[in-house]
Amino acid sequence: MTDKVKKAPAEMNDIPAIQTSNLTRLFGSLVAVDGINLEIKKGELYAFLGPNGAGKTTTISMLCCLLKPTSGTAAVMGYDINREPYKIKQIIGVSPQETTLSEHLNSMENLALVGHLHSIDSEKIRNWSKLMLETMGLTDRAKDQVRKLSGGMKRRLSIAMALIHNPQIIFLDEPTLGLDPQARRAVWDYIARLKGNKTILLTTHYMEEADYLADRIGIIDEGRIAALGTSSELKTDIIEKHTMVVYAWNLTQKVIMELRNRYEEVEISNGTMTISDKKLDFKDIINRLHTAGTVVRSAHIKEPTLEDVFLKITGKELRV
Amino acid sequence: MRFWQLFTRSLKETYRDPLALGFLLAFPLIFMLVFGAAFGSDTTPSYDIGIIDNDHTEVSQGFIDQAISQISIFEVTSFDDTDSAREELKLGEISAYVVIPGGFSTQVSQIMQGMEGDIVLNITYDESEPMISEQIISSVNAATRQFAQIEIPVTINTDPINIGVDITQMDFIATGIIVFGLLIMIPTSGRIMLRDKESRFLYRMLTTPAKPWEFIAGYSLSMVLLATIQIFFFILLGWLFGMDIIGSLWLAFALFLLTAICSIGIGMVVASLSKSENQGESLSWLFSMPLAILSGVWFSTEFMPSYMRTFAGIFPFSHAVEASRAVITRGVGMEAISGDFLFLVSWAAVVFIIGTILFSRTMRS
Repeated sequence: MTDKVKKAPAEMNDIPAIQTSNLTRLFGSLVAVDGINLEIKKGELYAFLGPNGAGKTTTISMLCCLLKPTSGTAAVMGYDINREPYKIKQIIGVSPQETTLSEHLNSMENLALVGHLHSIDSEKIRNWSKLMLETMGLTDRAKDQVRKLSGGMKRRLSIAMALIHNPQIIFLDEPTLGLDPQARRAVWDYIARLKGNKTILLTTHYMEEADYLADRIGIIDEGRIAALGTSSELKTDIIEKHTMVVYAWNLTQKVIMELRNRYEEVEISNGTMTISDKKLDFKDIINRLHTAGTVVRSAHIKEPTLEDVFLKITGKELRV
Repeated sequence: MRFWQLFTRSLKETYRDPLALGFLLAFPLIFMLVFGAAFGSDTTPSYDIGIIDNDHTEVSQGFIDQAISQISIFEVTSFDDTDSAREELKLGEISAYVVIPGGFSTQVSQIMQGMEGDIVLNITYDESEPMISEQIISSVNAATRQFAQIEIPVTINTDPINIGVDITQMDFIATGIIVFGLLIMIPTSGRIMLRDKESRFLYRMLTTPAKPWEFIAGYSLSMVLLATIQIFFFILLGWLFGMDIIGSLWLAFALFLLTAICSIGIGMVVASLSKSENQGESLSWLFSMPLAILSGVWFSTEFMPSYMRTFAGIFPFSHAVEASRAVITRGVGMEAISGDFLFLVSWAAVVFIIGTILFSRTMRS
């Protein structure tokens, strides 16, 4: 599936795949997207992480030329979203948040419909559809009307429909929403295989999804990008404190006080001690506990999560 | 040919959904069956007709005995003068009276001998019964021409007519029912688009390079095909219930198809403006039911105030009723209905252009 990639103008080889400039969208007095500035490189998988209503889908809708920005603009492979919407539509593939399929058409027909609308010839559509259905584990259900498929199957078909015409840019809006863990993992594996070959803008409110898949993550809240970076950059740059968790017996008041004097936060709960500070000395803590006669059953440094990052940035938990 | 792909997809969505297909096809056909059963039986209406013979010849008497009295729906009573006939008409004892003027036999004889002539009959009727009067006039017209063995029209009706056929109640009603059946394609034709809007499938389709006109054509063509099937069944059922198509079947078919295309076009406009299936259907019914009444699908528009008739004339359906009724019951050709025909063609073109503009505006809000 490499011979039908629609080429962007040659002079645009070095431009970003997606670039936005103060992209803003209002719905009445509600600011859904508030001056977003983005630059996504070609071949990058960029994830928008944020709660429902944060502005993720609105941003994608503007980039897909379905919504006009109230102000600001954006370019997709150098094409302006306001002036060249049909050029953009030729090079993008979209899997919307809702699993929107033509329910009385079978899987092959749904794929063929999108393929034909992108002017792909019938033979290629047939071949690519078979390949897609095989990749998505839907070969056995190729001739079934999609209303008879499970939610997971529909979601996989929806993603296949975004890819059937071999687009340069793929928008995946909450691709695993509502899927069971097994189906979610299967979709992740497939998306991971596309990394590097396609530019992917993915929205999610699953932290582990962004963590697992994304090259870079933009944390979006109330229409603004609150933080941007790789998963580890976000965790290390934003979460300044480190946390050590110790499961221990015979914890004495004396050693607890000793640790509290030395480190910023020490909490005890059901035999579990959590110690947090900007600088943690793992060896020092273990030695102090041993010296005090405490039996340490296990101890580890807790890695910060994106949830911690989100909490730190927005002051609220990511609603899932 | 993106519109072709969208068309085949809409078609599959329709015929693979038995409930939707059943509604689309069965609803108007049931309507036709009910009306057909009610008005298409052998129970023909009977009208009391008065006749005044001012010619007093054997020809005029023969006309009364062999033509007027033979019309199956007439009970004929002779009057000596118009005053007494008018009195009976006022009392509701008769529905109309026909005056045979002096010189009638001369005109008939001239025409029978191949010379020029003008048969004049004066019919006075109760204006409050426009549908009945229309039927009486047509029946008298047909009988007169049959009697005189002429192809030229009599003065009471200047349209050429097949003289061998009796005009039945069904002939009048069927055209109205067919136009009504096609008029209710307004709410049904936008259904797939609105369903796609609600399910957000349209959102996905709008991310493809398909143009607004291709969407409108795709959604409409499947409905046009469905309308063609509907019209075939409408005419077949009408015929089974006794509707005689005196004029060109194909001209009648073309008129009905244009009517359907206008309805589908309006449906596309409504669907483009609406956000949900419920909203679209409510708007459509609100629009189509008053239009059905105004257009004379059930009742003749003759009794309506002139401003209402003018208003109804803005829309295609009153033209469709008049033109199709003229073709079916009076056998007129294209030359007699070309104005209505062109009006329907223009309306179809304009409404689809408006639908496409509105759709393109809603494509990107």
